[in-house]
Amino acid sequence: MRKLRSKRVIVAMSGGIDSSVAAALLKRAGFDVIGIFMKFWSEADLRGSWNRCCSPEAEKRARQVAKILSLPFYVFNFEKEFKKGIVDYFLKEHKTGRTPNPCVVCNKKIKFGILLEKALALEADYVATGHYALKHEIKNQKAKSKNYKLLKAKDENKDQSYFLWMLNQNQLKHILFSIGEYTKDRVRKLAKKLKLPVLNIPESMEICFIKTTVNDFLKQHLKAKPGPIVEQVHYGARKIVGQHQGVCFYTIGQRKGIELPGGPHYVLDKNQKENLLIVTKNEKDLYKRELLAKDVNWISGKAPKLPLRIKAKIRYRHRASPATVYYLKSNIYHLKFDKPQRAITPGQSVVFYKNQEVLGGGIIIGPC
Amino acid sequence: MKRKIKRIYLDYAATTPVDPQVIRAMLPYFSEKFGNTMSLHSFGQEAKQALEESREAVASLIKAKPREIIFTASATESNNLALKGIALANQKKGRHIIISKIEHPCILETAKWLKTQGFKITKLPVNRYGLINLNDLKKTTKKDTILVSIIHASNEIGTIQPIEEIGRTCKEKGVYFHTDCAQSFGKVSIDVNKMNIDLLSASSHKMYGPKGAALLFIREGTKIEPILHGGGHEFGLRSSTVNIPAIIGFAKATRICEKEMKKEEKRLTNLRDKLIKGVLENIEGSYLNGHPKKRLPNNTNFWFSFIEGESLVIQLDLHGISASTGSACSSAKLEPSHGLLAIGLKPYEAHGSLRLTLGRWTKEKDINHILKILPKIIKRLRKISPFKKNFEI
Repeated sequence: MRKLRSKRVIVAMSGGIDSSVAAALLKRAGFDVIGIFMKFWSEADLRGSWNRCCSPEAEKRARQVAKILSLPFYVFNFEKEFKKGIVDYFLKEHKTGRTPNPCVVCNKKIKFGILLEKALALEADYVATGHYALKHEIKNQKAKSKNYKLLKAKDENKDQSYFLWMLNQNQLKHILFSIGEYTKDRVRKLAKKLKLPVLNIPESMEICFIKTTVNDFLKQHLKAKPGPIVEQVHYGARKIVGQHQGVCFYTIGQRKGIELPGGPHYVLDKNQKENLLIVTKNEKDLYKRELLAKDVNWISGKAPKLPLRIKAKIRYRHRASPATVYYLKSNIYHLKFDKPQRAITPGQSVVFYKNQEVLGGGIIIGPC
Repeated sequence: MKRKIKRIYLDYAATTPVDPQVIRAMLPYFSEKFGNTMSLHSFGQEAKQALEESREAVASLIKAKPREIIFTASATESNNLALKGIALANQKKGRHIIISKIEHPCILETAKWLKTQGFKITKLPVNRYGLINLNDLKKTTKKDTILVSIIHASNEIGTIQPIEEIGRTCKEKGVYFHTDCAQSFGKVSIDVNKMNIDLLSASSHKMYGPKGAALLFIREGTKIEPILHGGGHEFGLRSSTVNIPAIIGFAKATRICEKEMKKEEKRLTNLRDKLIKGVLENIEGSYLNGHPKKRLPNNTNFWFSFIEGESLVIQLDLHGISASTGSACSSAKLEPSHGLLAIGLKPYEAHGSLRLTLGRWTKEKDINHILKILPKIIKRLRKISPFKKNFEI
């Protein structure tokens, strides 16, 4: 990393290994680093168990790391904004049968939204996080301006660029991804070398504000309506084969938890209007070639020339697959994969890649 | 690379450092004179003796009888005991309690809880300086009113209430009068008899004593129920093994304050007025919260237009100055301080507030330093004010 003096960086420290090492690297590179712990929303729970993301233990670890690195450290309370912007959005999406990516919205609205806003008010030049992603700066000689590209992380297995497609140029300008050049293994070694007390914490994999399972959380917060499960026998013909507990508890492509005789069955679709859960025994039915996406964002700030050949990811752990993207109408785009893809799920993000670069993305309306 | 900047503490209203003399007084009571006040043997007697001497010391400062002092662990506890204890013991007479809108949260929340238990709560409004209106008090005090609890000096804006007049009104109406003196005890003179105070809370860590000691003065003959039951310590009103070292420290701190009060009050008032004058004259769009004169000698509270208090406090901290914002919580986007709203500030004005509170180790050069730094920081912050929205949410 280039040595920059006296540029101020606000590091969002979660008390986890990635953001702790991110802070350490920036400090080492000579930045004026300030550590911030964000308090997100956590469920009121009198039994004293906490969701991982903002437990008192996490706060304690973040403070401890800041002390070891001798960083000024502050706690920002974003409970209200997080509840309204992220948790309520998550519940609303599930209620309407979609499967949202709350982290995508959190990155846009919280980490690189209100936190960035606060950072600028503290005269910071950047906000940094422990995201595995990279930023590339392009100088435009003619216009004397700079453009920023969002790239995949070096460690492709840990790459989190999928969750960052909603960012814009103004946000990217002020972001540093200091661990994007490193592998998880290197990050772990660095943490060990620096004696940061973050080595034995379970990796955050799931949604941070959910303690147990998504379904438990939804059961607590949504009124689910039981209804019929119908099996698609062949195209157009359906028969009722059982009862579901509420369509929000199922995800497209899901096999576990359907428990009908003569299975396995796969969730093929949800009919919100009639409260139907549509299943199939034929896994091949899950494969679709085309989808529609809405709320599309192009990171460069404007749409490229279309149609465009890209690779697209339809969920975090999906392997980016070749596709062509077409513009349809009023910010709705049409995507055609070269090969059918399994379980195209409404509400999930579809992210467009060109080699290492994230061009942008959108929210999946559904297969078509 | 350690930041080496001089740190200036201007948050004495939050808590104070323990005076070295106080620490010296406390030390023997950890390992030598460690006895339990309830024990019969000499260790117990030693502790008991120390406890009663401490009681005399703190009683003397407010002209109370030692018998009228109950030691507790915090002003929050004292306030809880005062409100709940009086409510429980006097509910046959009535179930109406009067407080003000600018009480500390421990009074507001206790009152809120009492409301769920069937008590009626009246919250008196305050004027733009944070003062209650005595006529409001007279009008709202009814036959079933059992307690009036008004904070002596506001922890946020430092406004000092006309406590003597409030006491007189309560006496005329035959209602118990409690006052939370966490901020004023040891700083300004208090006379529970002249001021007709029936109950009074005070805390050690706000006046250079250790944390974990506080008191509730309860006038002799007051009907009150304990909220902690057990071994019958503190005249049966607060069972718990007595925290002797902390109480010794509290008493020592009280003696020092008593001795130095007159001089210190004058010194701090001068520094306070210099700070107020300097800020108002040198920073455009700055305003004083609270009363210009009827305020604690160590309290200043300002609001600045187009400034977010949290950013200001962090900026000051990065410059080595410890202050606090007018906001009650750590996020400026959470609820703004109730006290500042009560004096008529709009939420965004309350968010732009800054409290600087002085104390025993505040020097004139500290005030000069902040007067030099604060205008610059405010100017820079206004340039990048978040009130100009950059990002949608």
